[in-house]
Amino acid sequence: MVVNSIRERTIAENSMVVLLQGLQGEVTTVDLRDESSARGLVLNVDAFMNIRLKDVLFLDRRGQTAQLQDLFITGRNVRYVHIPDHVNIMKTMESQLAKIHRVRNFAGGGRKEFGGRKK
Amino acid sequence: MVLVRNLRPPTEGVRHEEANTTAVLSGQQLGCGTLYVAETRLSWFDGSGMGFSLEYPSISLHAISRDVSAYPEEHLYVMVNGKLDLGFLDSSNGDEEEVITEIRFVPRDKASLESMFSAMCECQALHPDPDDEDSDNDFEGEEYNVEEYGHADVPTFYTCDEGLSSLTQEGQATLERLEGMLAQSVAQQYHMAGVRTEETKAEFEDGMEVDAAVAEAGQFEDADVEH
Repeated sequence: MVVNSIRERTIAENSMVVLLQGLQGEVTTVDLRDESSARGLVLNVDAFMNIRLKDVLFLDRRGQTAQLQDLFITGRNVRYVHIPDHVNIMKTMESQLAKIHRVRNFAGGGRKEFGGRKK
Repeated sequence: MVLVRNLRPPTEGVRHEEANTTAVLSGQQLGCGTLYVAETRLSWFDGSGMGFSLEYPSISLHAISRDVSAYPEEHLYVMVNGKLDLGFLDSSNGDEEEVITEIRFVPRDKASLESMFSAMCECQALHPDPDDEDSDNDFEGEEYNVEEYGHADVPTFYTCDEGLSSLTQEGQATLERLEGMLAQSVAQQYHMAGVRTEETKAEFEDGMEVDAAVAEAGQFEDADVEH
């Protein structure tokens, strides 16, 4: 998981995007708002739900397919992200949150980062 | 999204500049020019003053296409939200079916595609969606800024082993320094008046070696961070 800022960590920690971040390394399908879809390996998902995929099969809304080596989808344009059946959603989210807390404790030592809001 | 003529290319915050790049707008070849991937916008100009600029929020996605059966040349594919033609941009769609514009940037140097793509990723990340309804961005309490305490050169955090190989040299040095500091700070607890307790080594489950000789004895004297 690559987290670029404290702000992103807080956003991630307080939203379901942590689940998507836990899909790093999985092959999945992302449906876009305009009815096109992309299936590929998840390289990274940031706190704004921008998704990077690689080795992608892209199906545009006209039904034509294209292969793309690397694809960056803006978070705003994501409609659905398919969670693979074998992924345990709760465990994934718990482990992502644990990673965030580990980073915070390591970097902060005895000092508290703001707690954020628990949903 | 802005379409302009006779505007000069951006000079600041240009993450990547690629000359000899053909722009293909909705299937129409615009000729050869230079692509500027700048932090504020994505621009392309053909050198005669003709060109266009795109604002990042209007870009739905971008990709590297190496599939020559789909398009004969390897290129950077950009999908823009809205209708763009050389006259003007019409993004006044509202609730109608989403109109998109496809742009292909075909560099002469195909090896540049990765840099062009990465530069765009970085710039896109600088423009998060302001309309995001679900933004729980309000912070409670004070924000603790790691960078204020001398760790300024740690821009990203990797917490899994795979990330270690992605560290730059600078990142690697930082990691080693931080790990060294952590080791020392733990060692400090067992150093009282120069006497070393026997339990020191047994405590560390992960086998991390603790250097008994504190190399920088005065390191933590001034620190107001509790360890």
